Amino acid sequence: MAVETFLWKRRERPSEFIETAKRIVGDDNVSERECDLISYSTDYWLYAIFLSQQGKLPSLPCAVISPRNSEEIQAVLKCANEYRVEVTPFGAGSGVLGGAIPGGGSAVLNLQRMSSFISLDETSLVARFEAGIIGANLERELNHRGYSMGNIPQSLYCSTLGGWIATRAVGQFSTKYGKTEDMVMGMEVVLPDGSLLSIKPVPRRSTGPALKELFLGSEGTLGVVTRATVSVHPLPKATDKQSWVCESIETALDVVRRVLRTDVKPAVVRIFDEAESERYFDEIGSKVTVIFICEGEPDLVALEKSVVKRIAEESGGQPAGENPVDIWLEKRFDIGLGPVLMQHGGIVDTIEVVSLFKDAAKLYDDMVASMKAVEGAVAISGHYSHFYREAACLYITFAGFPKDPLQYYQDTWTAAMEATLRNNGSISHHHGIGYWRRQYMEQEHGASGVDVLRRIKRALDPNGIMNRGKLIEDGG
Amino acid sequence: MEDKKELGLEQITNCAMCADMCKHSCPTYLATGRETSSPQKLARLIVYEEKGFLEDRQGFFDVVFQSAMCGACKAHCIYGNHDLRDYIHRARSKAFREGMLPEEMRKRVETFMMFGNPNGERPLVEKGTGAVGYFVSCSAYSDEQVPRAMDRIISASKEQVQQFGGADICCGAPLYYAGDVEGFAKAAEKMKGEFEKRGLRRVIADCPNCVKMMTQAYRTVGVDIDVEFIHTTQFLQALLGEGKMRVSKADVSATYHDPCILVNDLGISTAPREILGALGFVVREPVYSRGDTHCCGALPGARIGDADVTHKVNLMRLNELKETAAEMYVSACPTCKAVLSGVDTRDITEVVAERIVDG
Repeated sequence: MAVETFLWKRRERPSEFIETAKRIVGDDNVSERECDLISYSTDYWLYAIFLSQQGKLPSLPCAVISPRNSEEIQAVLKCANEYRVEVTPFGAGSGVLGGAIPGGGSAVLNLQRMSSFISLDETSLVARFEAGIIGANLERELNHRGYSMGNIPQSLYCSTLGGWIATRAVGQFSTKYGKTEDMVMGMEVVLPDGSLLSIKPVPRRSTGPALKELFLGSEGTLGVVTRATVSVHPLPKATDKQSWVCESIETALDVVRRVLRTDVKPAVVRIFDEAESERYFDEIGSKVTVIFICEGEPDLVALEKSVVKRIAEESGGQPAGENPVDIWLEKRFDIGLGPVLMQHGGIVDTIEVVSLFKDAAKLYDDMVASMKAVEGAVAISGHYSHFYREAACLYITFAGFPKDPLQYYQDTWTAAMEATLRNNGSISHHHGIGYWRRQYMEQEHGASGVDVLRRIKRALDPNGIMNRGKLIEDGG
Repeated sequence: MEDKKELGLEQITNCAMCADMCKHSCPTYLATGRETSSPQKLARLIVYEEKGFLEDRQGFFDVVFQSAMCGACKAHCIYGNHDLRDYIHRARSKAFREGMLPEEMRKRVETFMMFGNPNGERPLVEKGTGAVGYFVSCSAYSDEQVPRAMDRIISASKEQVQQFGGADICCGAPLYYAGDVEGFAKAAEKMKGEFEKRGLRRVIADCPNCVKMMTQAYRTVGVDIDVEFIHTTQFLQALLGEGKMRVSKADVSATYHDPCILVNDLGISTAPREILGALGFVVREPVYSRGDTHCCGALPGARIGDADVTHKVNLMRLNELKETAAEMYVSACPTCKAVLSGVDTRDITEVVAERIVDG
């Protein structure tokens, strides 16, 4: 009994393309072996992971091609255009929306052989890496030299720099250090036609629309990012941890909003709803909790600490000490419950959205109520984890034990997305669109917004070879 | 014969549905850049093999024998109590039973069957008496300098130690990693007999893998040995701490390579650094050290059954060590020493022996 595919059928073997690819990257770096096709069949889209238990995979690539450098990628993409074979870039497969599924049985362009640290410029505070480097290893290279990029997503240990760029990813320390788009100074991209684009590493320039923005969030549909230059920070000399118990989500949001309008920049700010507080913090139980981590130069940290404390007290917050912060730091990468639930028939996933502060509490209430109303729902919980002076990112986790897994999954997502849009929110803050969320793109951008994206896609990728079926419907 | 460790499908299925949170640490995955070798993908393939979803079983066994079996995935596992290597080992034993061993492993097993060790015909080493033994591992035996250094240390410290090794005395690790459970059980029993015959109560081994076999792997085949096993670094640390040898101080930098089994399975990373520090070395750290160390690749067929993968893992580690630009490179495993010769690596035993001041 072989594995089955449930989204795309296997395509006919593109023999001439595969033979040419072998000549470009070497025979050993093109695989059609079953083990490899299975391993590159999906990313960490949880519905696909759920079905993978039964040997059901979304799509199998026709081949896995593992280039060593940009030149080889250029040649492979030229060849893909010639033979009209679709190509899906694959970093480390940690995306949660199916963005790296080899749609239509496309060839996978595996970037894991391009994972080196290249250089650190301590004067300018920038570092250069190949895009396939895993986040944890990027941080290790920098930490060893006394620096950090400051991008610490939950997927730190299984996602790549290229993947962060592809999805506009965000880390847990984003309120101080910024998001991927703030950190990436420049990059090298192989365009779909095989030409090479090098974007200078400067913080900004007034030379027309910013080209790098085109590729930040392009999810492999507009090219392959092969190298990037990112900003780095000296490792912090001081750290302050505080946690506060608040009366309600509204009060907690108000504390954070008031802290941020002073221009204090805590590295970590998180608001946990009652359900998540109970799950994390035994000593607090079912009460809304806010945690702050301020870090950097000791004098500045002392000042930030006092501002946070004053505002939290003024809002009636009850101090809960450092311990909840330490507990969160300890548990923040633990995703072990998801697989356990899935083995017992549970459907689990997470949804992250963003809205202005004025809508943030209402959005939480509406989203949670809408998702709880779906038949089969068992647990819905949320936290706010990335903040701006103007807005907050809301992150909801859901689990259900439904009779019809796909129906429950679809209905829960639609309930969440519609609640977001009703409350003036945006449908994704940092996970991206991939395969699954593209069904809501027209509601997000409007028909004209999607049309702009489609026209850009056609201009850069006229043969539609890059990551077909992702980001927008008819994205090929 | 299957080993006695009970392995349920539930735990490996958790691993197969994890986000691959340990992949950043896996030397095979990093050195080959192949997703299939990442721990989660390998776990999924193991589950698929169990469920009969795979058609290309040879391809599956090839991947199974590409693991370095270094324990990095276990050390970085979010479940905390899961060791993927147990399942890899079970898959290897299936391959062994079905005659699907890779060539490099098959050759080592054949040599072992013929000579009782992976090196071939060799004389017995025996020196000294007493209830404390120093077991000369097979890689130390081939190296020669490590046992010579240990002999000098024993003599200088005036410890009563019975040195033994060579001939057909081997912990059986080659059979363990090839998945020959029955052969390994016999090797474990034979080793137990060797300790009993020599009246040993405490055994010092220079190879972390030997210590792992004796303290952990033997139990999986039902062999318990009432002997205390320690690694040479623990012995050396105690000797220096107790002032049993006079040593001269060095004044150079030394990069220490953590042998993967020593740190991941035996939890030893501080002792070697303290030894080097006590000898006056300025210890340099590679980017990947202590619990984040990378396997040296080991000898072809020793733990990895694919010579190309062995070479890639080895090259990656050599480059990581070279980046430190130290004046000396030190490890605490004779196999690491042998395969990291590209940076002229010394075993810590030799480094200590060289600094002994006579009288």
